[in-house]
Amino acid sequence: MSRRNTTFRGLATGWLLGLLFVAVFADFLANDRPLIAKVGDEIRFPVLHDYGRSLGLVAGYQPLVRNWSRVETEWAVWPPVPYAAEASDVRNGNFKSPFDAQETGDRARHYLGTDALGRDVLAGLISGARVAIVVGLGSVLLTLLIGVPLGGVAGFFGNEGLRGPRYHWWGWTVGGTLGVIYAFVCLFPFFGEIGGPAQFLLVVAAFTAFGLLLRLALRLIPSMRKPMAFPADTLILQGIELFVNIPGLVLLIALLAIIDRPSIWIVVLVIGVLGWPTIARYLRAELLRIKQLPYIEAAKVSGIGRWRTLFYHALPNALGPLLVISCFGIGSAILLEALLSFLGVGIPSDQVTWGTLLRYSQSQPTAWWLAVFPGLLLTGTVLAANGLSEQNNG
Amino acid sequence: MLRYALRRIALLPLSLLLLSLLCFGLRQMTPGDPVRRLLPDTESRQSDDDPAAYDRNYRQAARSLGLDRPPFYFSIYNAALPDTLHRVARPEERAMLRALTLQTGNWPAVQNWYRELRRLAYAGEGAAVKTSVAARQLLVRDQARLVNNTLNGMPVGPDRERLTGLFTAIYSSSRRAALLLPAFRWNGADNQYHRWLGATLRGDFGASLSDRRPVSAKIGRAMRWTALLNGLALLLVYLVSLPLGLYAAGHRGGWFDRVSTVLLFLLFGIPSFWLATLLSNFFTTPAFGMDWFPSLGFGEIPEGASWWTIVKIRAAHLFLPVICLAYPGWAYVSRQLRRSAGKELDQAYVKTARLKGLSRGRILWVHVFRNASFPIITMLGGILPALLAGSVVIERIFHLPGMGELIFTSALKSDWPVVITLVLLNGLLTAVGLLVADLGYALADPRLRLNAAKTNAV
Repeated sequence: MSRRNTTFRGLATGWLLGLLFVAVFADFLANDRPLIAKVGDEIRFPVLHDYGRSLGLVAGYQPLVRNWSRVETEWAVWPPVPYAAEASDVRNGNFKSPFDAQETGDRARHYLGTDALGRDVLAGLISGARVAIVVGLGSVLLTLLIGVPLGGVAGFFGNEGLRGPRYHWWGWTVGGTLGVIYAFVCLFPFFGEIGGPAQFLLVVAAFTAFGLLLRLALRLIPSMRKPMAFPADTLILQGIELFVNIPGLVLLIALLAIIDRPSIWIVVLVIGVLGWPTIARYLRAELLRIKQLPYIEAAKVSGIGRWRTLFYHALPNALGPLLVISCFGIGSAILLEALLSFLGVGIPSDQVTWGTLLRYSQSQPTAWWLAVFPGLLLTGTVLAANGLSEQNNG
Repeated sequence: MLRYALRRIALLPLSLLLLSLLCFGLRQMTPGDPVRRLLPDTESRQSDDDPAAYDRNYRQAARSLGLDRPPFYFSIYNAALPDTLHRVARPEERAMLRALTLQTGNWPAVQNWYRELRRLAYAGEGAAVKTSVAARQLLVRDQARLVNNTLNGMPVGPDRERLTGLFTAIYSSSRRAALLLPAFRWNGADNQYHRWLGATLRGDFGASLSDRRPVSAKIGRAMRWTALLNGLALLLVYLVSLPLGLYAAGHRGGWFDRVSTVLLFLLFGIPSFWLATLLSNFFTTPAFGMDWFPSLGFGEIPEGASWWTIVKIRAAHLFLPVICLAYPGWAYVSRQLRRSAGKELDQAYVKTARLKGLSRGRILWVHVFRNASFPIITMLGGILPALLAGSVVIERIFHLPGMGELIFTSALKSDWPVVITLVLLNGLLTAVGLLVADLGYALADPRLRLNAAKTNAV
């Protein structure tokens, strides 16, 4: 039994790592530009060069080559799949099966067929892997970013752990909220178009300034100086309960359908924000257990600060189980992304993903290769993620 | 226990209120103009022939939708903006005024500019046609470059000069310091949210923006089908998974247990929308010569059909969707049952029963099942929302006119009255389902109650 489990775990880890590899090196695996090509006297690295250009490190090649498949090169090293996901191959349009006769000339065949516009399905799968990994990792990271502090504080401090004078808690919560509102209502228009990071800094600055100010002001009122425990556990639990009642998928569809400029980052944002209660609830339970362990008591006795105890000693102990839950989260986020792009909401219309390939297959049921291959990849990923989280749990 | 239940029940309306706020906020942020969709097409043609009359009609329609009221009980806004901006009927003009004011902080100049534009645009016979058209374009332009382009394209004359003067005045005497002041205004109960919430609580969900039919009628019709679909799916889930899980628990480690565990794990990993797509591609279209099932709707029942014909027609339409909805549940429920029944089998009473000489089957199906099944029944609360969410995709793939399909098409058309009602309804079902499940667990398992009491005490 255990040997089979190890084999399975190896397979699942291998699958996910392979997916990560494909996602990272997608441009080198499927592209309509050669990796290295000798044009005239010059040796060019068209794919690598694009990265440099988008980072602003190098200038574009002169003369510009738009369609590499028509260029006479002395020699060229092409990616394994010499097609880009979004580029259509006009001569092989209208759903060419993997086994059909294809008019590709000297270029490689479309190994897994094409869709209506002649876009290569294998290239689409590779670009879809990138979208899946971005959404899966991105949204889980966001979920962790929100869920870990909230769940950690709720579990570790409970309702009685955070003590301080009233003005401290009221000042920071009310003042901070007011500061954020002020940043949105007044500071953003005043500073005009300054870009996202600067706006984020403005929000943080306003939060701090207003929080500090109100804290100082409230300190003058005598009744505000009484000590008070911050009911972190109750507040966060109520928040979780409120969030859990939101019908996720339905709201997602309603939300994404109204966005006029879809992008995968919005999908990441929405899935991540809706997912935090699972992590927070789990971590809270985990920390309630860890809190009782003797080494935390020892840390307390030896005078280590409580926040330090939480982040350096208690949270790392909960890391293993958290990773398991995150693994499951990655699987379900990828599934959700595929579902959304299958429905055609949230993902830009020219982006090829596993879900969009499945959607195209509906318009042409005979094109089985459009339906089967993305589904197999999706199933494999979900199985790997589910399996890993389960094996570790049991 | 009672306190816990009361707290959960008290939280329920709060959750729904929050959800309604969320929906309402989303509606406010949606681009698109509900009023223009309300006006018939003949009237939008009128906008070119007789702009003044169109403007009157537009304002009347906006008033009938209650859009001339402030959106919420209070507003927090930039003090450079006027407190009556919501009275400007058209969303595009409102956006223009807001953008120009927030760029410069100079509301008086923006107001002069707006008044002059409206005078020229909707003056009727007074203004030249070209000027009027240009003024209507300018009413929705909020970038200085575009405005200047339009101004340069206008016929030379006093109107153009006056407009150019007014526009440069906005930027020349910029008062950006005014932008730093916030303002707060209490709007009272006469606002859009209050009216909408009141109507919703009275059971009046409004009318669909796309076809003017009442929302409740649209949802009622769709709900019948979704209820049928999900009811059958739920039945199938339990019919299959209860024997499966119990048998596997009774023969732990046997070949059946091992095979079914692996199969169910695989089945659970297959995304239902993929399987549904495959089934619908292969079996409801003539693509592969296997056109065995109808591909659309729930079927027409001919006049005076016998009940057997009705069942046959409905079954053909429902078979694939119900299977696709149900199979993820098989794995979920049977694994839970196998786990809980496995725990029960280790209890002393099972040994007693065996010593008494009861057969293995009888112990399993009567004694163990009763004890192990309670968590399964309360799991219904968790399954119900999942089924509803799943039916969005399944109904879409099999072209069934149920609630999932309704919410999807309405969301794409930004038909907000329908979307909001459906989201709220879904939220209510989710919340009630979770509540029932939680309370059920607590009722079933005294240990949970004791634990809750202990953690409360600590």
